[in-house]
Amino acid sequence: MSTGPTTFSDDDSHGQPRVLLVDDDEVNLMLTAIALRDRGFDIVEVTGGESALAALAEVAPDMVILDALMPGMDGFQTCQALRAVPGYAQVPVLMLTGLDDDASISRAYRAGATDFFVKSTQWSLLAGRLRYMLRASRTRMELERSKFKLARAQDLARMGSFDWRRGERGGTLWFSPEALRVFGKAPDERPSLRSLLRMVGAVQRRGLLRMLGEVVTHNAVLATDVSLTLEDGRPRVVHVEAEAEFDHGHGVGYTGVFQDVTDRRVAEDRIRHLANFDALTGLPNRRQLIWRTERALDHARRLGHNAALLLIDLDRFKNVNDTLGHAAGDELLMEVARRLRGCVRHSDQVMEGALEAAGTRSHRALEAVGRLGGDEFVALLPEVADDADAERVANRVLCAMREPIFVAGQECFVTASVGIALFPRDGSSLADLMRNSDVAMYSAKTAGRNASAVYGPQLAGQGREKIELESHLHKAIERNELVLHYQPKVDVRAAKMVGAEALMRWQRGGVLVPPGDFIPLAEETGLIVPLSEWAVREAARQTRIWQQSFGFADSIAVNLPSRLFERSDLVENIHQAVSAYGVPHKAILLEITENNLMKDLHNVSLSLHRLNEIGVEISIDDFGTGYSSLAYLTTLPISELKIDRSFVRDLGITPQSSAVVSAIIALARSLGLRVIAEGVENLRQMDVLHRLGCGVMQGFLFAKALPPDDLDAWLQQTVLPRKAPWIGAASEEPLARVLGRA
Amino acid sequence: MMLPSSTPTPLSEPPAGLLDAEALDRLRALDPQGQSGLLLRVLATYAASLRRLLEQLEVARANADLQGQRHVAHTLKSSSASVGALKLSALCADIERRMRDEPTLPVQSQFDAVTIEAEHLLQQLRG
Repeated sequence: MSTGPTTFSDDDSHGQPRVLLVDDDEVNLMLTAIALRDRGFDIVEVTGGESALAALAEVAPDMVILDALMPGMDGFQTCQALRAVPGYAQVPVLMLTGLDDDASISRAYRAGATDFFVKSTQWSLLAGRLRYMLRASRTRMELERSKFKLARAQDLARMGSFDWRRGERGGTLWFSPEALRVFGKAPDERPSLRSLLRMVGAVQRRGLLRMLGEVVTHNAVLATDVSLTLEDGRPRVVHVEAEAEFDHGHGVGYTGVFQDVTDRRVAEDRIRHLANFDALTGLPNRRQLIWRTERALDHARRLGHNAALLLIDLDRFKNVNDTLGHAAGDELLMEVARRLRGCVRHSDQVMEGALEAAGTRSHRALEAVGRLGGDEFVALLPEVADDADAERVANRVLCAMREPIFVAGQECFVTASVGIALFPRDGSSLADLMRNSDVAMYSAKTAGRNASAVYGPQLAGQGREKIELESHLHKAIERNELVLHYQPKVDVRAAKMVGAEALMRWQRGGVLVPPGDFIPLAEETGLIVPLSEWAVREAARQTRIWQQSFGFADSIAVNLPSRLFERSDLVENIHQAVSAYGVPHKAILLEITENNLMKDLHNVSLSLHRLNEIGVEISIDDFGTGYSSLAYLTTLPISELKIDRSFVRDLGITPQSSAVVSAIIALARSLGLRVIAEGVENLRQMDVLHRLGCGVMQGFLFAKALPPDDLDAWLQQTVLPRKAPWIGAASEEPLARVLGRA
Repeated sequence: MMLPSSTPTPLSEPPAGLLDAEALDRLRALDPQGQSGLLLRVLATYAASLRRLLEQLEVARANADLQGQRHVAHTLKSSSASVGALKLSALCADIERRMRDEPTLPVQSQFDAVTIEAEHLLQQLRG
């Protein structure tokens, strides 16, 4: 042989392989040992099977060469025994056989030999065979190690392999132990495909089977997430990923992995939820609403139907926060959210893929109510027939608020104002619809709240104006833009002024803003409190001026909202206001509407008593409109009833109105209260009132609300010279006329 | 039993013609410079092994121990081939084949030939 000795230079990292050489033929043993040593092997020679087994522990060979035929324990027996020694199951064993000894070759494999080699003196061949066996063994060991590592990694990743072979009754499934663990199965279980599918909910299962059928038909790649419930009831999401296996071009099955991705999915869902849902109420947030609305509009555009956006704003929610605290406010919002949710076909979860899957009715799943922030909510109706459809939902919302909400240990009554904008009529984009539903909502508020309004072009601009108005109103007091105008109260028989009602006006940049345009806003925002306090001070100041200029000794009536009566410092404030100008307490008369009084009767009555004690008189405004029990009149310290202008208007036209007016007058008289009629515009009304026994009036017939200086002039030029048409008309024997009728 | 890697027995160069030249070359190739006296050590080991195997054969033939006889033939066949004792190796190979293929036929005359050839070799190696 010309082949020179070959060393293990290419495998240096593994060092010299140690070989246990077993041969009873000493000549062969010696020659083989010398030849292999020459080729870089570390050889330990023994002459028999028994001594070979005995030497194993000490030698720790990388491989073993066994002569097949030996006296005593032959090579086959030795090999079998060696395989049973711990750690030697995989060690390469080469059996040396005779040239034409076929029987020995098969016996060698049966005994667990790795390979055989025909005895010869061609040492290079033997050395090459040994090196090949070592390399194969190392590769095999590395494979084993990496298999083990893979199994461990898969286990950590809650992942496992599976194989599926086509066949009858769902084919054959094979699982790695890690894959079994994914499904909560023991390593020795052999679950069928059917039993795994049973873990999937019926609806999803149908879709999954359809998809699997499709994939398998085309030998396509399978990659999907499946939600299932393990036998112990734990919900799990398992990711399945597999590729087709082919044999001669035919798909014979699939091989792939299962992975438990529940934690990841839970985290993903949580993140998605945080990003898309309001933390307090759990409703979709602004972002999610925008997403849904845009999709709903796309759909409506494609199919040519209407959609509606309802902007829902709670009325006076700020009061709750101010009086009960933010925790109570939050509690209330949560309950409101719960009720709103019941007003629409609310679907919480909309997956991006699920929409397409649900087909043409999929946009229905977009329907939802969400929270924009604060006390503002939005209901998205992806398909409506018309206004009426949307208004039905709006009414459902208003109805849902009707029941009291129990927060912070007490019942709260909450109402809402709803603005409706219809796609495409009231806007073709999300932004337009939002703005216009906002406009409609404000118009509902302006109209008295607890109502819904559909957007119309005539409303445009009002919402924005209102915001501007509000910011300016804040500064109106400090800028001295607010003024009081005074409407005289007149005793028609005596033809003299007996007092005046102060009415607030806002002089804003040269324009006089009527009270109807800013008082509701002031009430809504809470600005009514400083405004009213200012009005009391201003009225006291005016009283002082008039005292000095023409000896005014009557009272000025100031309108107060009920919320002011609830303030514990009201009495103190009024006291300070009159004291500051040196006028008596009775110079201020407070007017409260019957509606306001009835709404907060309990809270208001204490203040009324205390005010009465210091000499401030109370007048009931708009009397007769409160639909209320009149029992309060006997218990509250009231001085005056003001007949509502609606009854006065119809006097002399409908008999009912004079019946009401005469009843009020009779009531007042029996309770010892003064009575005054407002809104008197003509002599006919004045005449009837006078005849019925009400002599004190106010209205355009006498004077509209006048600036303080004009009022002085009116007195000087009209009343004192007795020049007005009403003067005299009433002074002619009024009593006789009344008696004459009776 | 573990053997030391060499069995030193002083012996001169083998007599020419007795052993196959090619086989001897192969043995010399294992120790090209002849530093470790490999060839002579191998021949000494062969001679010792041959003597022991002849004794074993005598006992086996006396006891009609076919297994023992067969083992001697098998071992002598390969070790003789290794050192180039081709005639002896061929005799043993023939016996081994006969015993395997025609186990009922006697091989005693063949064993006689083996013994004669082996004695001859031993004499030569010793000389």
